[in-house]
Amino acid sequence: MAAAESPSAALRRRDLCSRGIRLAGKMRADVVDLLDAYVEQQGLDASASVAAMEGVPLAAVERWDEQTGTQRLLENLAAYRAFRTLLAQMLEEQREQLGEADAGLGRALAAVLLQVSAFAYHLEELLRLESRGIPGEEGDGPPPPPRLSLFEQKLRGLGVLRELAQWAVRSVRDLRQLGKPSSAAGTAPGLAESP
Amino acid sequence: MYLHRPTLAALPWLALMTDPPLCSADPAVISPQDPTLLIGSSLVATCTVSPGVPLRAQDLYWTLNGRRLPHASYAALGPATLSVALARLNGSRQQSGDNLVCHSRDGSILAGSCLYVGLPPEKPVNITCWSKNMKDLTCKWAPGTEGETFLHTNYTLKYKRRWYGQDNTCQEYHTAGTYSCHIPKDLALFTPYEIWVEASNRLGVAVSDVVMLDILDVVTTDPPSDVHVSRVGDLEDQLSVRWSSPPALKDFLFQAKYQIQYRVEDSSEWKVVDDVGNQTSCRLAGLRPGTVYFVQVRCNPFSIYGSKKAGIWSDWSNPTAASTPRSERVAGGCDPKGGEQNTTLRRELKQFFGWVKKHAYGCSNLGIKLYDQWRVWLQKSHKTRNQVLPGDKL
Repeated sequence: MAAAESPSAALRRRDLCSRGIRLAGKMRADVVDLLDAYVEQQGLDASASVAAMEGVPLAAVERWDEQTGTQRLLENLAAYRAFRTLLAQMLEEQREQLGEADAGLGRALAAVLLQVSAFAYHLEELLRLESRGIPGEEGDGPPPPPRLSLFEQKLRGLGVLRELAQWAVRSVRDLRQLGKPSSAAGTAPGLAESP
Repeated sequence: MYLHRPTLAALPWLALMTDPPLCSADPAVISPQDPTLLIGSSLVATCTVSPGVPLRAQDLYWTLNGRRLPHASYAALGPATLSVALARLNGSRQQSGDNLVCHSRDGSILAGSCLYVGLPPEKPVNITCWSKNMKDLTCKWAPGTEGETFLHTNYTLKYKRRWYGQDNTCQEYHTAGTYSCHIPKDLALFTPYEIWVEASNRLGVAVSDVVMLDILDVVTTDPPSDVHVSRVGDLEDQLSVRWSSPPALKDFLFQAKYQIQYRVEDSSEWKVVDDVGNQTSCRLAGLRPGTVYFVQVRCNPFSIYGSKKAGIWSDWSNPTAASTPRSERVAGGCDPKGGEQNTTLRRELKQFFGWVKKHAYGCSNLGIKLYDQWRVWLQKSHKTRNQVLPGDKL
């Protein structure tokens, strides 16, 4: 319950949320730049319609305003963990295919991967504050990804970056909700009202 | 969150398929998939719609790098297979491969294939290496006469001790430009090395000639440190330059020679003094008075442990600036003797007073401004008449 939260915990939560909002905002800007560079390097059409791909978490959500704080954090965490794996794979493929030929793009990709990892850690901190257990990261490790054709890899990369840009926007909104001072029952649920 | 084969397009008919196995999720397949081709070659590619997908060959079209390919190049090879013929292919537009894509009528992407069109690598040439203070080795090379292969080309620098070494591979690339590699340690002295570069891409491998070198013959060092430039008393055409030997020089049994280059502030042209020898100071003469000069010094270590090879010049030190003293005499003239200077001054004053008498209307407005006006008038007069001025008649 909201009333159960101590003032220091509330302060810490607000601080973590506002720092998370800044992280997500920066990440969004960097991902948009990276997307431009990626589309150019891969010779893709920026407006190409790429349907949802399995394994790429979708930012689109229904009844977003009805989500609890914990739900928001857990969905964010799962998404960024997935992006961490996907970006690491993109980086490896990039190095395999082009070596250091486009070091700029590789560096930008690595920088975004770092931001995603940092943001995932930030979300774990918020969950800890709520005295929630941190969900494990798939004990046995993910199964080896299927072998994609080079064109499929390109398209998947486009899909990953597009969706990550959307997630960054969603995360800013999620953290704004979470950072709001605990309000009376019936308003948008925050962290303290999580089940 | 695990990766699965992506579904390439939002296809309503996929809803009709009940949990298709991963491998059959593609609505269509292009053949050949991700081929590598030589520039100028031709290709026939096919797009075959997967069973169960309600599309026919006439519902499909092709794009290459986003540009729609003309219908004239298509052929229906079956009810669900459309081919496209590409002739005389140019080098790939991007190293990640050209995108050959099969679309359905509404523009959805059904399948794609990356085309890698280019040339095999050429033999790398002009391998040159240098060792900074005998501690490391950096080599650079040129990618061959043509250079551009349109394909990602990987360069590997390899080296071994000439008689009994095993092949080693350099790890730190691009340290001194695009085609360079740095070997930071584990290099032996007093033994020759064989060095070569292997270039490889999707179309083949090319190996450079082997270069043989001894580390001692390719040593360079840091630029000289503590470069000081100062005036030589009141001498308006000279500056004194002093510097210290590079620190590493003290540890090794070699000599050094130096070069100085200098330029005036508003010019990009350097003047080189290359007869400095092994001294660590030098006086620059014949400079312009009252002028700012930039000075740099570099070092060439030679005869290291008796090496007979000419050393390699270090980088230039950072520029150091100093100005020559301003000249007391009228600028632009040659260096007159005292008496001549006096005569010139007297003559000029005589001209000036004559001019004042004529133009200043009783000295009511006498001042430096008037003197300036007179200088302008004098210059104009010199230009137009180039003869004795009226003031001289006084």
